[in-house]
Amino acid sequence: MTPSKRMWHLAFALGRRRLFSTRMLIMLPILLLFIPGMAWGFSDSNIQLPAEQVPTNATEVMFLASIGIVFAGTMAAVLIAHDGISRDRASGVLEVRLSQPMSRQRQGLVLILGHWGSIAIPVALLLILSMWLVGYRSDMWIPMSDALVYIVASMLILLWYTVFALLASSIAKEQGSAIAFSIGLWFLFTLLWVLFTTLLAALNGVAVGDTQDQGYLIFEGRLDLLSPNGVYHHLLETRLDGVDRGVSAFGAYAAAILWTIVPFYAFQRRLNRLVP
Amino acid sequence: MGEDVAMKFTSIGYRHLISNPTWYNPLKKRKGAGVSHIDLTISKGEIIGLVGTNGAGKTTLLRMISGILPLEHGEVTSNGKTLDIDALRSLVGFMPEQVRWSSQQTIHQTMTEFAHLRGCSIQSALDILNVVGLKNRMDSTLDALSQGMRQRLSLGIALLGTPSVLVLDEPFNGMDPVAIDAFKRLLRSLARKGISIIISSHHLAELDHLIDTIALLHRGQMLAHGTTDALQASLGFEQMTEILSDKEIEASLLETMNVLEHVQTDHEHRYVIESGQPDLLETLIANNHRITTWRVVPPTLIELLCAATGMDRASIGMDVEQSSMIPLRTIGGEEE
Repeated sequence: MTPSKRMWHLAFALGRRRLFSTRMLIMLPILLLFIPGMAWGFSDSNIQLPAEQVPTNATEVMFLASIGIVFAGTMAAVLIAHDGISRDRASGVLEVRLSQPMSRQRQGLVLILGHWGSIAIPVALLLILSMWLVGYRSDMWIPMSDALVYIVASMLILLWYTVFALLASSIAKEQGSAIAFSIGLWFLFTLLWVLFTTLLAALNGVAVGDTQDQGYLIFEGRLDLLSPNGVYHHLLETRLDGVDRGVSAFGAYAAAILWTIVPFYAFQRRLNRLVP
Repeated sequence: MGEDVAMKFTSIGYRHLISNPTWYNPLKKRKGAGVSHIDLTISKGEIIGLVGTNGAGKTTLLRMISGILPLEHGEVTSNGKTLDIDALRSLVGFMPEQVRWSSQQTIHQTMTEFAHLRGCSIQSALDILNVVGLKNRMDSTLDALSQGMRQRLSLGIALLGTPSVLVLDEPFNGMDPVAIDAFKRLLRSLARKGISIIISSHHLAELDHLIDTIALLHRGQMLAHGTTDALQASLGFEQMTEILSDKEIEASLLETMNVLEHVQTDHEHRYVIESGQPDLLETLIANNHRITTWRVVPPTLIELLCAATGMDRASIGMDVEQSSMIPLRTIGGEEE
């Protein structure tokens, strides 16, 4: 068996273990509530949204429902991967793993692919279910290209959070710190980012919170490139009409590539220097 | 013990990074304790006992030999070729001190996983379960294993891919005497097959009748490596004999021997004397002494360290804080 095949085999085994783990069983109802549940809710024709927004097609409905991915999907990725390294480190198993001839780069890829796979598969299935629910309920069917972008973007944000969690797990010396690091990062990008954005906007003299103010929208859009959740929404917005937040589709793709490469590199670098 | 060299480490060293925060750089680190300029030649089929006090650098050295820690300097060769860290890992099997294997994964699944990591066949991994006595428990989950079984699993994983050097860090911790005996017999049989074994311990007695050579480590430096006899000779150790007799040895006889220790209890007298008097036992029996014990006393780790470093017990005792960057006295070399 070639080293690459062995790597895929290990990643598959890890993914399967995590997929059928107790914590996945606990998270599944949350994912069900947040992903298909949100899609079901936003596809209601009588829905009352702030600022009198009314979704006019399935892509917009799914865009609104993407908040479920941002809240529950990313949280699930963090909870699945937060002890990917710290648990083995605490038990001494990491030492055994690092003494094996498989290179640390490959072992790192196994960790990323295994953990990401275990959360990406159920989320992808739930997204497909959500799209069907939207079509079934509102008779608005999402175009295949939009569906593809939606699923790929969602998989990417899960990948980013998986890598963040693994990176935090490799830095933390014990489980508590690993959880604190990972949840802290999730909290920062998911909840505190709005505060951060408005603070910076206020300091720059932009009309804070005025969603009709183009200056604020552009400022927020650009600052969002520094957040994985923001980049995720930029990717989804490439399929929406009439949205201008000062970032081109190319800018969104470039940011997505950077958000993929940089944490990947940081994690591999960290793993190469890791002392059990 | 074979004469062929399995692996040779020349002047290897590693120092751990420790936190050294400053107000402008809270993440700043500096080099701390570690091991320095270690030379170690491992012969094929040799069992080396790596001994030293707590904090001597045993685990650090073993991790370097296993390719877990990088060599900051020095090199490792095998069959005349310099090995990089990946090649080193493929030749060494490592068993850390007490791995707490725990999950719902079975032994079979764990061995399969490590067979993939090691790059060996799954069948060979299952065969190793037979060697370490876990064949009948291969469907047990890791959570259900006792400490002894966990140690066996760790050994099984270390044996994957038929390594030429087996590195065992304090393997007897948590094992009962029966398991220790079985473990030692297994190690001896592996050594007979040509696998070299490095086994660390801070108890010399634990390694009795198992090791071929002792490597003495103290404050990150290798003080000596050789057979027990050679080490004792080079350290100027006289062989000592312990005698337990029912009555006091006559003064005339005592004058002929060098008594190092004499302890009297209610029922017997314990003497520790310098060895090398072949007729003494016969003389004592002829003088109507009832000798209940007559044995050669191996030196303790403390005695070896004291002799090797030139320090007294008090200086060696609890001082495990730092690696010494000043070369300690080395055996056969000049004192610095």
